Amino acid sequence: MNARIFALIVAIIGMLVASGIPASNGRGAPLPTLSVISPTPNVVIGNGTPVAVVFAVTNFNLTEPGNGTSSPNSGHVDVLVDDMLTAKASVNTIVLALPSGPHTIRLRLVTDNGSALNPDVTASVAVMVTRGPASGTPGLSIVFPREGALVGTDSTLSFRVTNFVLVAPGGPAGVPNEGHILARLDNAPYAVLTHDAPLHLNLKDGPHTVTLQLVDNEGGPLNPNVTASLHVTVQALLGRVTPFDATPYLALVNLLIGLGVLAALYRKLEAR
Amino acid sequence: MRPQAPTARQHPEARRRSTMLALVALMSLLGVSLSSSTAVAAAPSLTIVSPANGAVIANGTSVLVDFLVSNFAFVQPGRVGQIGSPNEGHANVFLDTQYIRLLTAVEPFSLPVTSGAHTIRIQLVADNGTLLNPDVSASVGVVATHGPDEGAPRLKILSPTPLEATGHGIYVSYRIENFTLVEPRGQPNAPSEGHVQLLVGTDVVMEVIQYEPVLLVSLPEGDITIGARLVNNDDTVLANPSASATVAIHVVASSSVSLPLVSNGGIALLLAFILVVLILRRRKLAARDANARGGSP
Repeated sequence: MNARIFALIVAIIGMLVASGIPASNGRGAPLPTLSVISPTPNVVIGNGTPVAVVFAVTNFNLTEPGNGTSSPNSGHVDVLVDDMLTAKASVNTIVLALPSGPHTIRLRLVTDNGSALNPDVTASVAVMVTRGPASGTPGLSIVFPREGALVGTDSTLSFRVTNFVLVAPGGPAGVPNEGHILARLDNAPYAVLTHDAPLHLNLKDGPHTVTLQLVDNEGGPLNPNVTASLHVTVQALLGRVTPFDATPYLALVNLLIGLGVLAALYRKLEAR
Repeated sequence: MRPQAPTARQHPEARRRSTMLALVALMSLLGVSLSSSTAVAAAPSLTIVSPANGAVIANGTSVLVDFLVSNFAFVQPGRVGQIGSPNEGHANVFLDTQYIRLLTAVEPFSLPVTSGAHTIRIQLVADNGTLLNPDVSASVGVVATHGPDEGAPRLKILSPTPLEATGHGIYVSYRIENFTLVEPRGQPNAPSEGHVQLLVGTDVVMEVIQYEPVLLVSLPEGDITIGARLVNNDDTVLANPSASATVAIHVVASSSVSLPLVSNGGIALLLAFILVVLILRRRKLAARDANARGGSP
């Protein structure tokens, strides 16, 4: 009887060993993995829209942070943007509002108490955020006045920008499709434009060349260079109707009166 | 020895009966099995409840997507020891062609959208990410705008008033209703958003995105027409007649007197005065001389 029970126990233990139950503790379950599905590496996120990061895990149960059950195969994801802890995620998507510029988003699986797994399980993706559009070639054109126009000393220049957003200088370098406009008058810097309002010009008489150039946040030209030029001729009092300009006639009158004064003085002297 | 029980071999009738019973039982089991498998394998379905197809997402807000799923259980993919089942998985969300969400719960979610037309598509997938067979997905088209979702855009010029006499530079002020001004930067057209064009006669002299008065300078003298109109992001004029306005004004010179004119005129007056004084003095002297000679000149 004892021998039978002993044989049964041995058989059960043998079956358990064969089925791998003890080995699950010895070898450990398959290691958790983490991967970023979206966005794709180095993608440009346009229009300043928030970045939706979609990730996948395997052999890991995502749980709400702080639920108190800490195990090596469950927990949440720490989200680090440029090496700064920004958010925690317990679902497979996290939406991040990021400023313009290049960013590195790094995800890390952590247990419920926030400690990293051993070995560390991370995944990262680099993105570029811009307030401009994600694609498209920047363009610049002058709407008014027309090329070769005759304008007054006081005038305005209206322009149009496409696929490019005007922002204040000093933003991060290398951001596509955002920057400002450098306005040049006769090849000399004239103004920096950071919004779409028309440019007010106050020019001396004569021919002038106004050039607008799209530049990046550091003030450098785009590649390829995007400019628009305009040649105008400035004439004072343009558009003003003067019904009768007596200036030349008054000069003649002055001359005649002057001669009359001289004649009167001469006759006076002669009379004495 | 125990007596042997009678067997079917010994009784063919009993054997036939037991075979029939076994067949009936088997058929019953098969029927139950088939009916229950039909219930379990009911096809998953997915419906987008909100927004409605073609809805306008106004005022630059995010779109809230609400959806319903039946015969499909949402689970987190990649769980420990996960064994996928046919009617279990998660959902992928696409905005146009971009993959933007992985949903593990049937809950409404919010999507930021830029101006223009967009398609939102939700697709059910198995735990391992493979598509269901047949594919189960639903999509909806929306149009996003920074403008309001109702009301016809209107523009009215407040100043200058009709036939007003002005100088060569004036401020044009206007009131805009049911329309939002946005920077034109090549983005798609969207309802009730765009910018303002200012015209002198038929020439567009300015494109602005400001609600404040705009200064127009160097206006030509005489009777002219100032215009303002609302246009789409691509500069096409709105078809709505109340989205544009014109006003006739009279531009007069504030001062067309130049410095040479003033100086020449002043000098002329001075010289004329001197000449008159000299002539009068000469006449006075002549009269005095005549009196001194006894009345004869």
